[in-house]
Amino acid sequence: MAAFFLRRIGYGAITLLGVLLLLFVLFFAVTDPDDIARKAVGERARPEVYAQWKTNHGYDKPLIINTGASGASRFTDTLLAEHYRRMLTFDFGRSDADDSPISRRLREGALPSLGITVPLFVMGLVVSVAVALFVAFFRETYIDRVVLVVCMLTMSVAGLLYIIAGQYLVGQLLRWFPISGFDPDPAVVARFLALPVLVGVLSGFGADTRFYRTIFLEEIGRDYVRTARAKGCGDARVMVRHVLRNALIPILTNVVVQIPFLFTGALLLESFFGIPGLGALTVEAIQGNDFSTLRTMVYLGALLFIAGQILTDISYALADPRVRLG
Amino acid sequence: MAALAACVAATGCTNNPYPQTDRDKKVLYSSFYEAPKTLDPAVAYTTAEHVITGNVYDTLLEYHYLARPYRLIPGLAVSVPKAQDLPDGKQSYRFQLRPGVLFHADPCFPPDAAGRRTREVTAADLAFALARIADPAVNSPVIGSFAQIAGFGDFSKQLVELRRSDKAFAALPVHEQYAKVGGIAGVLAHGSHELEIVLSQANAQILYWFAMPFTTPVAWEAVAAYDGKDGRDSFADHAVGTGPFRLALYEKQYRFSLARNELWYGTLTANSDAPGAVFPSKIDAKDVAEGRIDPAYAGRHLPFVDRVTFHREREGIPQFNKLLEGYYDDGGIIKESFDAVIQSGRLSPAMQARGMRLDVTVEPSIFYVGFNMEDPVVGTPAGERGRRLRQAMSVAVDSRQYLELFLNGRGLPAQTLLPPEIFGFDGSYKNPFRQYDVERARQLLADAGYKNGIDPTTGNRLKLSFDTSATTAAANLQFEYLANSWRQIGLDVEINATTYNQFQDKVRRGAYQIFSWGWLADFPDPENFFFLLACENARSKSGGPNTAGFCNAQFDSLYHQMKYLPNDAHRADLIRQMLVILERERPWIELYHLEEFVLSHAWLVNSKPMGISYPAYKYKDVRPELRARLQTEWNAPLRWPLYLILCAIVVLTVPAVRTYYRERL
Repeated sequence: MAAFFLRRIGYGAITLLGVLLLLFVLFFAVTDPDDIARKAVGERARPEVYAQWKTNHGYDKPLIINTGASGASRFTDTLLAEHYRRMLTFDFGRSDADDSPISRRLREGALPSLGITVPLFVMGLVVSVAVALFVAFFRETYIDRVVLVVCMLTMSVAGLLYIIAGQYLVGQLLRWFPISGFDPDPAVVARFLALPVLVGVLSGFGADTRFYRTIFLEEIGRDYVRTARAKGCGDARVMVRHVLRNALIPILTNVVVQIPFLFTGALLLESFFGIPGLGALTVEAIQGNDFSTLRTMVYLGALLFIAGQILTDISYALADPRVRLG
Repeated sequence: MAALAACVAATGCTNNPYPQTDRDKKVLYSSFYEAPKTLDPAVAYTTAEHVITGNVYDTLLEYHYLARPYRLIPGLAVSVPKAQDLPDGKQSYRFQLRPGVLFHADPCFPPDAAGRRTREVTAADLAFALARIADPAVNSPVIGSFAQIAGFGDFSKQLVELRRSDKAFAALPVHEQYAKVGGIAGVLAHGSHELEIVLSQANAQILYWFAMPFTTPVAWEAVAAYDGKDGRDSFADHAVGTGPFRLALYEKQYRFSLARNELWYGTLTANSDAPGAVFPSKIDAKDVAEGRIDPAYAGRHLPFVDRVTFHREREGIPQFNKLLEGYYDDGGIIKESFDAVIQSGRLSPAMQARGMRLDVTVEPSIFYVGFNMEDPVVGTPAGERGRRLRQAMSVAVDSRQYLELFLNGRGLPAQTLLPPEIFGFDGSYKNPFRQYDVERARQLLADAGYKNGIDPTTGNRLKLSFDTSATTAAANLQFEYLANSWRQIGLDVEINATTYNQFQDKVRRGAYQIFSWGWLADFPDPENFFFLLACENARSKSGGPNTAGFCNAQFDSLYHQMKYLPNDAHRADLIRQMLVILERERPWIELYHLEEFVLSHAWLVNSKPMGISYPAYKYKDVRPELRARLQTEWNAPLRWPLYLILCAIVVLTVPAVRTYYRERL
C-alpha cells in the first residue's frame, strides 16, 4: 500500500516539474520579459524605471545560463532556476499589474471562492445523487422520463445563460437575492452567495444527475441486487445500502477530482456575481496581462489537479482493495 | 427545493445588497469596473483611480462645478494666480496656500497637542509632490508635462546619478534625498504658505495641471511610513490627503468607501466660505429647468453626503439591472438595453415613470483613424498621391452610420480634432473631407492615380494594411466596418489584428500603415489635442503620442506659437490655420467625439456630468427617504413562484409514490 502511494506521488512530482517547465517556456521564453515590463510600467517610462521594475519582479536575469556568473551560479542565477525555486517554495512574488503581493491576493480570494465552491459542490452532489437515486427507483415511469427531459434541457443551455437568466429571474423579477455583490460580514454573506450557488447547482444538475442515474441503473441490474431482493430486502434498503454503496467508485472518480479545484474558484460565477475570489482573480489576470498572477494560478491549478488525481487513486484503493494491485 | 426555500428564508428574501442600517443615511452608491492599481497621486491616471484621488486629495485649483466652458477656481489656493514675467522669457506663478488646511488624521503623523494625528499643509508639501513627479523612480505618467518648470529635468538627472553613484544617498528616505539634491530650482517655497513655480518659458496651460490630483500636497510622513515593506501598507494603497472625503474602506478588488473628512478645510471655520467649499451661487437656468441642479443649494456648505460607497461590477448587465432596481444612484446605459431606455433620443416612458433623468455630455475626446505618415504609400513620402489617397479614404467613412451601428448613436461626428467646449471649436464648420460621399471618394482616389482602386504599378487593387490592437469580436466588427468603407471604393484593405504589445512593437518599428486610436483630454485646452500631431512628439522619433508621425513644418510653427497663448483672437486665428493644414493633409480621419449618457434617479440631487474633470462628490446630495420608499416599492419580493414550484413537485411525485405502493408492495 505504501509503495503504491509513493509511486503515485512520484509520478505526480515528475508531472509537476514538467508543468513548471512548460510554464517557463510559455511565460518567459515565448513572452519577452521586456514586453511584460513595458506593459506594466507604460510605453513612455524611462529606461531606469524599466530596469528597476524588472529587478523588483525578478525578470532581470538571463533565461537559462548566466554567462556573466561563474560556478553553480551560471545555472542557479537564472530565470529558470528562480522560476522553479519560487514556485516550489510558494514564493509567488508580486503582481505584474499592481505590484501587490500575490500570496496576499490568494489569501484574500480563497475564502470568497470557497464560499461559493464548497456549498456548490456539496449541494450539487447531494441534489444530483438524491434525484438520480429517486429516478432510478422510479425507473421507466413518467417521473424518470420527466426528470430525463429536464436533465436534457438543463444540459442544452449554456452556462452563461443560467447566470444572466438567474440574475434576471431570481434577482430582478422575483427579487429574492441581490443580483450581484459581496459582503464578507457573516450575518449577510449568505444573501450574496445564495444566487450564484443556486445557478451553479442548476447548471450542473442535468449532466451529473444523468451520469449518476446511469451508474445506479447499471448497479440495479446486477446479481447481488436480485439476491438481496430474493432474500427479502426492501427497495429503499436495496437502493441505499447496496446500490449506492457499490456505485461509490464511479461517483468517487467524478467527485474527488473536483475537490482540489474548489480552491481555484469559479471563473464565470465569480466574475458575473462580483465575488472577489480566485476565479475572478484569474479572469482579471488574463484580461490585464498580469503574467505573474496568471502563472501562479496556472501552477496552482496544475498542482491541485495532480493532487486530485492522487487523491482519487488513494480513494480507489481504499474503496476497492483490488485497485492497488494494478 | 427545500434548500432554496431555506436560502430564501435565511437570507431575508430581499435583493437589497446594502445593510438595512444604511437605508436612511446620506450614502451615495456607485460602481466601478476596473480595480484601481494605485492611489499614489503622482501616478494614478485611470478613471477608477481618479474617482478616489479626485475626492480624497485636494488641489490648489479646481474646475467650477457648473460653468461651461470650463473655468478654474481656487481650491487650496487663496486665488488663481496670474503669470508674472521674469527676465530671459521666464515666467512665474505664485500660489498662496490657505492657512489651516490639515491632512487627514492618520497614524503616520505624531499626535498634536489636541491628540489629533494630523498636521497643517505647507508649501513644502506641494514642493514635495512636484519633486515626486520629477523623480523617475516614482514613474509618474505626467513627468513630461512639467518639464518647463525651471530645473525640473536637472533635478531628475541628479537624483538618478546620485542614487547610482552613492549607496548611502540611495538608502536615505526620499524626502531626505530630495532635500540633499536641493529640490527643483523652479519650485520655491516662500515661507510656509506661498509656493512659486518658475517656468523656463511662458505656459498659460500649466495652471490646469494644478487642478489635477498629480499636484496635490503630499505628506512626506505618509510616503515614508507606507513603503510596502515588512507587511506595511504601500502608499499606492493608503491615501493620506486633504480632500472633503477620506478613504474609509479600501478592498480594491470589490469595494471601497469614502467618508466625510471632518478635518476638511471647508468644514473648518476659517475657510468655510472658500470658493471650493460652497455650492456655486450662480446657477444656470437650464440646469434648474432640466432638474439637474436644485437652486436651494446655492451658497450652501459642502459636502452634503456622509459617505460614498463603490461596489465593483465586472459585467455591465448586473450593474445596469442594479441601477434600475435603485441600488445605484446613477450610471451609464448598457448597449443591450439602450433601445429600451432611449427612444427617439429621449428617455423611454417607462424610465420617465420611474422619475429618472438623462444627462448627455460630449466628452472632451476624439476617436480617429490615423495614417503612418512615414509610410511610402499612405504617408508623406507618397507626396500628392498619398495626400489624395488619404483624402479619398477620409471621404469614404460615414461616421454617423458608424456611431449608429456600434455606439447606439452615442457620439458626435467629428469635423476636426477639437470637441465642443474646447477653445477653437466651431460648430458651424464642415470639413470638406469629412462629408460622406462615395462618388467623391472614388474621384479623389482616381486623382491619386488609383482609378477604381487599381495600383498602376501592379495592375491589382491597392493593398493596404489596417493594424489593430484589439482582438475582441466587437472591436473586429468595428474595424471591418471601416475596412469595408475603403473596400467599397476599390481598395484592398487587410485587417491585421494583434495584441497590444505586438501593435506597440509594430509602431516602434514603423511597420504599420493605418491604425485606429482615441484620446480623452487631460485638460480643456486645444493644445492638449494639437500636441498629438506635433513633430516633436512623433512616436518613431521621441516615443511621444504622435503615433501618425505627422511632421509638417508649417503646422509645427503654428503649434509652437499657439501652444502657450491665452485664449484670445490671435490664438483662434492660429488654430484656424492649423485646422486648414490638417484638413488638407489628413494625417487622421476624425471619426467622433464620444457622448456620455448618464441615468440618474430622482433622489440624486446636483449631479452634473463633469466631462473633463473628476467626479466631485462634494457637490452631490441624495434624498434617502425618497430612495428608501422607491426601493421598497420597486423591489417587493414575489414569493408565490416558490410555493408554485413546491406544489408542482408534490403534484408530480405523489402519484408515483402511490403507484409504487399499489404495484410493488
